[in-house]
Amino acid sequence: MGKSKHVPLTSYLYLVPSLLIFAVFLFYPFFKTLYLSLFMTNKMGQAKLFVGLQNYTDLLSSASFVNSLKVTLIFVTIVVFGGMALGLIAAVLCNKAFPGIRVFSTAYALPMAIASSSAAMIFKIMLHPAVGIVNKLLGLDINWLNDPATALYCVAILTAWLNSGINFLYFSAGLGNIDETIYERASVDGASGVQQFFSLTLPGLSPIMFYTLVVNIIQAFQSFGQIKILTEGGPNESTNVIVYSIYRDAFFNYRFGSASAQSVILFVIIMLITLVMFRLEKKGVNY
Amino acid sequence: MAEIALRNVCKQFDATHYGVKDFNLDIHDHEFVVFVGPSGCGKSTTLRLIAGLEEITDGELWIDGNLCNYLEPGERDMSMVFQNYALYPNMTVYGNIAYALKVRKLPKQEIDRKVREVADILEIGQLLDRKPVALSGGQKQRVAIGAAIVRQPKAFLMDEPLSNLDAKLRGQMRVELQKLHKKLDTTIIYVTHDQTEAMTLGTKIVVMKDGLIQQVDTPQQIYDNPINKFVAGFVGSPSMNFIECDVSVERARTALIFAGTGPIRKVYLTGQNARRIGEKYDGCRVILGIRPEDIYEEADAIEGGFAENSVDVEETVVTREMLGSEVILYFDEQRKTCAVRLKPTNQTQVGEKIRLCFDMDRAHVFDMETEENLLYRKEW
Repeated sequence: MGKSKHVPLTSYLYLVPSLLIFAVFLFYPFFKTLYLSLFMTNKMGQAKLFVGLQNYTDLLSSASFVNSLKVTLIFVTIVVFGGMALGLIAAVLCNKAFPGIRVFSTAYALPMAIASSSAAMIFKIMLHPAVGIVNKLLGLDINWLNDPATALYCVAILTAWLNSGINFLYFSAGLGNIDETIYERASVDGASGVQQFFSLTLPGLSPIMFYTLVVNIIQAFQSFGQIKILTEGGPNESTNVIVYSIYRDAFFNYRFGSASAQSVILFVIIMLITLVMFRLEKKGVNY
Repeated sequence: MAEIALRNVCKQFDATHYGVKDFNLDIHDHEFVVFVGPSGCGKSTTLRLIAGLEEITDGELWIDGNLCNYLEPGERDMSMVFQNYALYPNMTVYGNIAYALKVRKLPKQEIDRKVREVADILEIGQLLDRKPVALSGGQKQRVAIGAAIVRQPKAFLMDEPLSNLDAKLRGQMRVELQKLHKKLDTTIIYVTHDQTEAMTLGTKIVVMKDGLIQQVDTPQQIYDNPINKFVAGFVGSPSMNFIECDVSVERARTALIFAGTGPIRKVYLTGQNARRIGEKYDGCRVILGIRPEDIYEEADAIEGGFAENSVDVEETVVTREMLGSEVILYFDEQRKTCAVRLKPTNQTQVGEKIRLCFDMDRAHVFDMETEENLLYRKEW
């Protein structure tokens, strides 16, 4: 690795345009958020009073924020596992050629193309306690979105389904990379379909599985539109995930300092998870 | 160990496309059967039909007296070696070899014992902890064979297992496969497009073309007594020379006069052959088939006592290949390149003429239309 120490200055020049865009839309907001999280702000979002880490200590001792953390955790878990399981099952099913495969593939990939807000509107009608099709089909009388026991699961499952489209695509690509003949050998060797799935398909998907997991976790943490439309964090803060809580604190309560602090905490959580996952990947995915 | 019988087996891909047509074959215990033919002749398809990886469209597959058409691949108790080895990339060599035993839920110690036994036979003991990516082609090949022989299946199916190896390694593995066949004393069904592999490995060769069996016989018989022009041309390297000739009965002898203009060049059939061809084909156009090693220079032919069977067969050498132990001369006859294999002492150079003599005892005569061997001996 004969790396020359003399990199001509002009080469950095080429990076300037992209750095500029990053600076305006990423770096500046990021540092501004860090800065704001240490202040009390006025209603215009201007820093007025330096309070140090008080925003953070307030948050961590507030029951509402702790609830938000808990809700987010449940939400992310359901969304990530649900979304990946749906995508994986659909991809495995569509990995065999059969008549009408294009129809099915399109159907399974479709959630990718649906805006979360329109999907949320459709679900809102489907889950309507009086006229919704869910209650009609199940013969139940549940107010899905207004019951703290069910509201979180409803938005989480909707989000899982929304995310399953892109996961289906990732997994389909991953399955396409697995050599077909190893399945033939396995079936001659006498392995059942289930054995083949666990000993060949899953390990074969592990590199893409890892990537999909990271993307899904980040995506799940950032879900917003469907919660805004379906439940607005309610009932009883039962769907008040961190992102929604940030939105409410900033744009309803005009507490930009507290909202910024929550943003920073969310950032730290996602970063830690991603770091841990990359550490684990080096051990787990190794061929 | 098994008796495998295929009865009128067909594989039809669609209304007009056949992979295999009307395939009849009995494979006995301990046989090393080789399916050979050009690519697309249906040999791999036949193997996959036996393995259960393809569905049989028509006909019956009997294994040990049981109809097996509808059995799952895993239930047929075969093991298979694939052309690209099909090693499980996520498992170590040990895991690859052990897999077939593991899915059968054998006790751990027994699996371990068998894997190490196989690793010893194939000398891959030091590789057991490696992943397939860290193996060379030859090593992968051994692992694939190891994974196949770790069980005692009814038969081993091998689909061009040596075709991804370089020439030298292929030669080595060929010898080892033969040894392995002796050692394991088992049935092997082997697919190849390489006639050398087929000749050296098989105890029984099945020559296929366009989904149809051409001939089933021992290597020696396939070589010496091919049923038609295709088999004759497919087996042997350089391949058999084909020369169009007109049959002419001259007094007591049957002459084959080379077709074409120019001075008359002819060869005389000998013994039984002369009578068989002379009686039925006088005046007809036929194809004379003669292998490169059955053509001699004049001096050797005089010594062998058959020089007078060839009259004025003189050819101009266009290419000369010196192989050390022999020299192969090529000449053009009827716009086709023919070859002759001579002693390395022959000094004829490119552009020079050489007088050639055919050993007519070993010549074949094929029908122009059907391309059947007119001298094919059914009983021998």
